[in-house]
Amino acid sequence: MSTVNDRSSPDRSPPLLVAANLTKRYGSDGTVVDGVTFSAAAGEILGIIGPNGAGKTTLLEAVAGLLPVNSGDVFWRGDRLQANRRRNVLFYLPDGVRPYQDQSALQVVSFVGNVFRRSEADIRSAIEELGLGPVLRRRVHALSKGYARRLMLTIGLLAPHDLLLMDEPFDGFDLRQTRDVMGTLRRQAASGRALILSIHQLRDAERICDRFVLLSAGQVRGTGGLAELRAQTGLPNGSLEEIFLALT
Amino acid sequence: MLLLVCPLVGYSFVQAVSLYSESSAAGLQSPVLARSLSPLDGILVPTFGSFYVAVTLLFPFVAIRTLGQEKESGALRLLVQLPYRPSTLIAAKFCAVLAAWLMVSVPALSALAIWAILGGHLAASETLNLLFGHLLYGLLAGVIGLLAAVISDNSATAAIIALAVTIGSWVLDFTLAGRSGPSAWIAQLSLTQTLRPFEQGLLSAGLVLGITAVIGGLAALTVVWLPPGTTLRTKIVRSVSCVLAMAVALAVAAQTRSSVDISEDRRNSFSSADEHLLATLRHPLVIKVNLAAEDPRYIDLRRNVLAKLERAMPDLTVLLVSERPNVANPSDAYGQIEYLYGDRNDVSRSTSPREILPLIYALAGAQPPASSVGEEYPGYPLVVSADATLLWFFGGLPLLVVLAWRQVRRLPPDKGLVHQGVKP
Repeated sequence: MSTVNDRSSPDRSPPLLVAANLTKRYGSDGTVVDGVTFSAAAGEILGIIGPNGAGKTTLLEAVAGLLPVNSGDVFWRGDRLQANRRRNVLFYLPDGVRPYQDQSALQVVSFVGNVFRRSEADIRSAIEELGLGPVLRRRVHALSKGYARRLMLTIGLLAPHDLLLMDEPFDGFDLRQTRDVMGTLRRQAASGRALILSIHQLRDAERICDRFVLLSAGQVRGTGGLAELRAQTGLPNGSLEEIFLALT
Repeated sequence: MLLLVCPLVGYSFVQAVSLYSESSAAGLQSPVLARSLSPLDGILVPTFGSFYVAVTLLFPFVAIRTLGQEKESGALRLLVQLPYRPSTLIAAKFCAVLAAWLMVSVPALSALAIWAILGGHLAASETLNLLFGHLLYGLLAGVIGLLAAVISDNSATAAIIALAVTIGSWVLDFTLAGRSGPSAWIAQLSLTQTLRPFEQGLLSAGLVLGITAVIGGLAALTVVWLPPGTTLRTKIVRSVSCVLAMAVALAVAAQTRSSVDISEDRRNSFSSADEHLLATLRHPLVIKVNLAAEDPRYIDLRRNVLAKLERAMPDLTVLLVSERPNVANPSDAYGQIEYLYGDRNDVSRSTSPREILPLIYALAGAQPPASSVGEEYPGYPLVVSADATLLWFFGGLPLLVVLAWRQVRRLPPDKGLVHQGVKP
């Protein structure tokens, strides 16, 4: 079976970020994330893959420092990174958020651009990259799901951080839009940024990600590039979907 | 909220002017009656009284909206990732609350302007003092709303919490006012109590310090509870520290007696000559009051004598030695007020300064001062109708508010960014 991103994991530079043994429980027996460990390197797109309820969003929020964990640590370039300092090095784009709904998309983008001290050219470039132009004067609450997603991605492009965490970045896009956004994310990675994407659509994940963390019921079932996962499962031509089913 | 405040404040103002005019009609015939006509009591306090009700019931919602909307939409998770500390974010929200209060106060401020235009008298110091009191109260209500928004999952819960505090405060005030002991202490926690000295033209350093400490403490708690990534245990530990710091600040405030009587009629002070003489009395004065706290005589004594003595004398102790009078076995001692100065003492049942001050001077061996001339408050009677101003409060001002709202809602110019982002 052919895939868009049918390559083994590249020679990896030292990891920017290491999440070590992260565990998050709600109540006494509600373990949502169970001892998850993974790393992400500069220029890499890492996919956190799993079905709905696998713990992807919880994991991303824990890494971003927006959710306290029961145990585990996050390291940045080898140093332990406290939760309250993570916003200095990474930026998380949550799913389903429409920020500042009474404002226009332009006001929101300009606000974020100004907060991050981006030039007008940068703001213009981000808007152009995501094709947000036609709705810039529309209020956020009136944006379609796809444009609301583009707005969030524009915010992500304006954030100057070395690492972007994105929760379901392709949700709400049609096929063509998904391909365009994938191209945008690829260019971001090529510029040296690391991207960690939480994706439940395995075909999308297979096309965009360099490496994968397969998550099921809060536990890591497999990590690595597609070639490594194929070797691990003994499915030399297996798709990510087949690999996932084999491992979970 | 502004649209509701306009008619509310307007109606109160017109009613206040009407009543003041009726009293003034008699006051113009008699200088003695005129002396009792103070715009602070007759116009300012009733007009701002309706403003106070609106702020108590509605302003917490405004404050809740500044954070609750972001919390509900999920935008808070973006907000806390911006390169600002939580304290900076809350300071910005606090400034927004302050700006909102300034806007909400426009109807009341316009009522003051109308009163001045109608020829009414406004004493700058007592007016500014009252405004300052309402500002502190508004900020207190606002910071309660902010804290409620931060600790609640949604705005509805936050509103319930904020109203439970503000309306619960009224309940405290109504049920425990005039009681003694722990009840009196609890009653003092009522938010309503914060405004009373300002309404009486008194600027109390202890009260200002206390309110500022509570505002600062609640703002600090809001900062503690804002970051979603902090563990509950850490938040609780930090909250306890904030509460302890607030308690220490309140204890210091409670010990701070210094205050300034800003009222034009000097209602919180004895005459200047009496104040000067009382300030020279160096021995401690102990007053043992054999009255129940809710006894009207004690309330008179506190207002007319004790509160003024506390401001004027360097070393005064007031002991309330009686609880409720025993109807079955009435005691002769009930109602007596004993004054101890140095090694001398005297007893009286009077609650009037005209009798009590000479008694104290006699105990201290001091010559009572000659009565001051020219200190009499003249009063400011004014017969005028403000009915026409209802047009302003019910029509003109709301219309301006709507027009301003439309202007604010209008999208800003696009600076050339619009229509340049279309992908080919």
